[in-house]
Order: sequence, then C-alpha cells, then structure tokens
Amino acid sequence: MIAVPGFLLSLLVAMVLSGSGLAAGVKAKAEVSCAATAKSLEYDCAIKLSDQRSGAALTGVDVTVGADMPSMPMAHNVKPVKAVPDSAAGTYRARILLEMHGDWAVKVDLAGPVRDRIVKSMRFEPKP
Amino acid sequence: MDDHLIGIVSNIGVISFVALSAYLLLLTGEISFGQQAFFAIGAYTSGIVTAMWQLPFALGLGAGAATGAAAALLVGLPTLRLHGLQFAIATLAFAEAVRILFELFRYQIVRDGELVGPNGIEGFRNIRYIFENDVSATEFMLIIYGLLGATLFGLFLLERSRLGTAFRMIGEDDLLAATQGVAVVPVKLTAACLAGTIAGLGGGLYAHLTTYVEPAIFDVMLGVHSLAYGLIGGLGTAFGPLLGVVIDIGLLESTRWFAGYRMIVFGGLVAVLLIVRPRGLLDEQLVHRIRRAVRRRPRPSPANDTVLGKELS
Amino acid sequence: MEAMLEIADVVTAYGKIEALKGVSLSAAKGRITCLLGPNGAGKTTLMMSIAGALKPRQGSIRLEGSELVGLSPARIVGNGVALVPENRLVFPQMSVRENLLAGAYQRNDSGEVTADIERMYARFPRLKERREQLAGTLSGGEQQMLAVARALMSRPRLLLMDEPSLGLAPIVVKEIFGIIAELNREGVTIFLVEQNAHLALQVAHHFYLMEQGRVTFSGNPGELAEDEVIKRAYLGTRRSAG
Repeated sequence: MIAVPGFLLSLLVAMVLSGSGLAAGVKAKAEVSCAATAKSLEYDCAIKLSDQRSGAALTGVDVTVGADMPSMPMAHNVKPVKAVPDSAAGTYRARILLEMHGDWAVKVDLAGPVRDRIVKSMRFEPKP
Repeated sequence: MDDHLIGIVSNIGVISFVALSAYLLLLTGEISFGQQAFFAIGAYTSGIVTAMWQLPFALGLGAGAATGAAAALLVGLPTLRLHGLQFAIATLAFAEAVRILFELFRYQIVRDGELVGPNGIEGFRNIRYIFENDVSATEFMLIIYGLLGATLFGLFLLERSRLGTAFRMIGEDDLLAATQGVAVVPVKLTAACLAGTIAGLGGGLYAHLTTYVEPAIFDVMLGVHSLAYGLIGGLGTAFGPLLGVVIDIGLLESTRWFAGYRMIVFGGLVAVLLIVRPRGLLDEQLVHRIRRAVRRRPRPSPANDTVLGKELS
Repeated sequence: MEAMLEIADVVTAYGKIEALKGVSLSAAKGRITCLLGPNGAGKTTLMMSIAGALKPRQGSIRLEGSELVGLSPARIVGNGVALVPENRLVFPQMSVRENLLAGAYQRNDSGEVTADIERMYARFPRLKERREQLAGTLSGGEQQMLAVARALMSRPRLLLMDEPSLGLAPIVVKEIFGIIAELNREGVTIFLVEQNAHLALQVAHHFYLMEQGRVTFSGNPGELAEDEVIKRAYLGTRRSAG
C-alpha cells in the first residue's frame, strides 16, 4: 500500500517532465533493405538515415535494429542489435537473426543526437 | 537499465492492462476472448488524438480509455445475457470484426509533408509523441507503471467494495448471487465497462510505446494470452494476472531459454496449471491464507521500536 | 389465519414443457408450510418461480398482498423473501463471514449487519469457529447451516428452503430440523420443500402434496396417515395406483 503513493508521485513527475519537453527538431527518415546471408534466417540490413525535412544525411547516430512479428504480439521479438556506420554518410549496417520467415515489423531506434523510431513492415522469405 | 531491458519492462507493464481487463471479467465468471479489441480501440483512438489532432498525451489516453468503455458498453448490452461458451464465442467474433474493420479503416492527414493516420492493413505509423516531446524511454516506463499502479490501487479498492463483492458472488454462482439480491446484468455490464476502460487505457500506452499499431497486432492470440495470464497467475488477487505476464514475457520470452519453443512451453504451462491449480498460482485459497497470516502477525512492540530508533540514530 | 404467501394458478414452463400446470397454495404467517412430492413434481421450479429466478407464464404470487411476479430476483429479496436453494448452498471461494455479508447484500445498516453476524455466530457456534475459513471447505451440514444463516442475514419475512436435508447424514438432518423449528418459534415464516416426509410432518403446521406440476392434496399433519403421505410423497398416486 505504501508503494502506491510512490507510484502516483513518479507518475506526476513523469507527466510534468514529459509536458515540459520541447518539441524535438529532427524527424528522421529511414530506408531499410535487408539481404539474406549465407546463414539461414540471418539478414544483413543496410539502413540509410536522412532528415525528413531537409533531406540531409544523419550521421553519428546510435542506431539499434530490432524486429517483431505483429501477428504474434510480444512473441518472437528479435533482441535488438547495434548497427555500425557504413562508408557513405548516414548509412549503417546491422545483422539480425530472425526466428522464422514471414512478415516482420523492423524497428529502427535512433539515439544520441537524434531520438526517433522508424518502423518498416518487411517480408522475409527463404532464399530461393 | 539498458534500453532493451526498459523495453521489456515497459512491455510487461502495457500488456498487464489487457491481462487485468480479462481478469476483471474472469472475476464475474465470464471468459472473454475479445479484450484485445478494446485494447485496439484505445490504441487507435489515442494515436489519432495525439499524432493527428496534436492534442496532449493525457487527453489521448483519456480518449482511449473512454472509447474502450463505450465500446464495451455497446458490446456488453447484447452479449452479457449470454453465458459461458456462447459469451466466449460472441466476444471472439466481435474482436475479429473489430480487427477486420481496422484493416479497412483509412483516415489520414498530411503532417510535415507526410501522410499520418490509420492506413488499413498497413497500420498506423508515426505516433511519435514521445519523440516529439522528448520523453525518454525511462520516463515513459514510469508513466506506464504509474498508471498501472493507480489501476491496481483502484482494483484493490474495488475488491473491498460492495461492487467487488458482487463481482465475486456472480463469478462463483450467478443464480445464488441473484437470490442474495445482486442485480446480475447491470453489475456484469459495469464489470465489462471497467474492463473496457482498462484495456483502452493500456492500448493508448501501447500505441505510444511502440509508435505504430497495425490490425495484425490485435489478433485473437493477444486475447488468448490475456486470458491465460489471469488463469496462470491466479484469480485470487489483481497481482495474479501481473504474475502471469511476468512469467510469460519476463521469463519465457525475454530470457530466450526456450527460443522458438516459448508458445509450446506456455501452452503446456497453461494446460498443467488448469489441471493442478484451476484458479491459478495466486488463487483465492492462497490469497486468503496470506491475508490471515498477515492479520495474525503481532504488531511490533514499543520496545522494538526504540531499539530500531537507536540503531537508526 | 393471515397468509404470508399466496400463490394462485401459477404456470411455469421450460420452453413448451409446463413444469407447473396451475399451482395454487398459500403459506400462513408465522407458520411452517411444507411442500412434499416425488422428484420431478415441480417443487424446485415453484421455489425458483417465487424467488424470481424463473418467470411464471401466468398466475400470481403475492407476498402479504403485493405481487412478486415480474419482479427481478434482486427486488424480490428486497421485498423480504430469502431462498436457501437446493444443492448450491454457499459461495465456496468466500469465507464464512463473507458469505454472511453476501446475505446482507441489500442492507445499508452496516452496524446492524455486524450485530446480526454476531447473532448468527451465537446461534451457530460452529460457524463462529470457522468464520475465516473458506465456505467450500466446510462439511455438508455446516454449509447448510451457513446457507440458513446467510438467508437470515437479509432479515426476511419469508424463508424459502429447498430440500435442506438433501445429502446430509441423519444426525445432521435432525439438527437442521431443530433449527427450522426454533426459527419458527422466533416468528419466522417458513415455506419448506422436502423429500423427508417423516421429519417434515413433525415440524410442519400445514402441508401440500404435489405431483406432475399440480397440487394434489392440502391438509394438516395427522389428516392423512403418515405412511400414505410418505407413499404419495415418494411415488405419487398415479404410480401407486397403477
């Protein structure tokens, strides 16, 4: 019972904090393409990040790539992996290991200078 | 806490709302396979309010909860006269109808040169409130758990109230409850509305946590799981369904001990528990025993207090 | 004798099958009235019709002159009718005390309710011993006592009891009938459905025999030889004649 006022207090604090936040400037745009690797169910994803408004490449961002299956809520979500910067500005690469083929929602989380999340619906099929 | 852990803990919190929603109906003895529909309605509504109409987050959550309640009232009026299997099937049919309606639902506006809003089967993207307003993942987790704590507190008050007693009476034996003077149908309708409110609120949080929703998420799978959480965790207290969520998402999914076999393990767990503990781990008998033990524990004597006081000072 | 309960020409049906085919009887105020009859005669259907759990197709059921037909079970409780149903006696996952409180669901006088619970504990000391126990863990006889005590918690004008001896050991049945007689001496009007004709005739002031949805006999104990009553209560006239 003592925990309850604590909860409510933290709620209040969080609400105030969230209310005071200024609108963040950048809205990110991502292009994601994933290619199958030699290993079954492993995909190599190339991500290209740009500013939705200016079109400028977004560099120096902490990029994490995860995925889950919408038809299996809370199940089969892939543990997110960090993406590494690639040669061109604003491009990143990450290898994700899926649990099965099918429709996945690929989540690209951005942290650091830009905070955002981009979700892409992608179909992963076995190599022909 | 790293981001992944925060994500899992936030997920546990959000799914707990659907689990509590199904639990509330289980208390009145009704099995609903359709609580995910109110979760979906809450998610879409609150997303529309914040991402499209640009209104405050609290208003979005409130609207999600209110539409959840209103939908539950509309569904409850015809279905709560049904019992057992008929009610379960009716809720399932309703939830699937809602999911298919969301597959057809298109309502988009242009914002920042991009279309925003529900787009049928593609879903509803860019519910970016937490990014636009710089709410950190930790802060959002606190919001989730603050509201979950408030909901639980409300449920504890409810369980001690006359209405809560009526829920349990109906759940155990609706005819016997009626002969004690409980107006069964209105009380059940109240339970359904409260359950719709809780699911709608959870849906609003979910939409803002993941930033996107799509009809496939609100599949019957989610409904079955929410039901199972109460049945695993126990029907003796509102902590029961939470325990169920923690076992499923926290233990089975997140630790990856069972990798792709989680559903099989989960299904097996449900089957075994239904046989050996039909009302879940924290069932009425265990909760009752714990309450008695707590009540019997002697209060600390003043002597102890002074000793503690000295140690502290 | 002033009537507490007056039932006139009640027909209750399950779909097309009429379980009650025009039942008329009455229960006098302050008395024990007993309804006897074989299985399937419609006794429980009549109890459920009085309590409002089943809706009669025609006829009237009056409690001290006011009509009960058409009211919800909750309203009928509010009017002062308490039912001790057959078989499904208690809320098994609730404690003895919570069961007693459930009986007082419609009352708002919490102080008086607490006092009434103490009165029930005084009358049924075994319930007091087990007050924090879950009702489902009580013995059959204790559950029956709890069901009676819970019915009394609504302070009824009329207590309906459906087969209180069902499934109980003979010594416990005797105890229950002792309680029934005692409650009646304190002024409670009781309408009792029973299979155990021998015990029922010992406590009843008036009794009815019922067969196949109709009342076939009405009289005071002693008006009909006990073995004849027992024969008709168990077998019915038609079968005993044929």
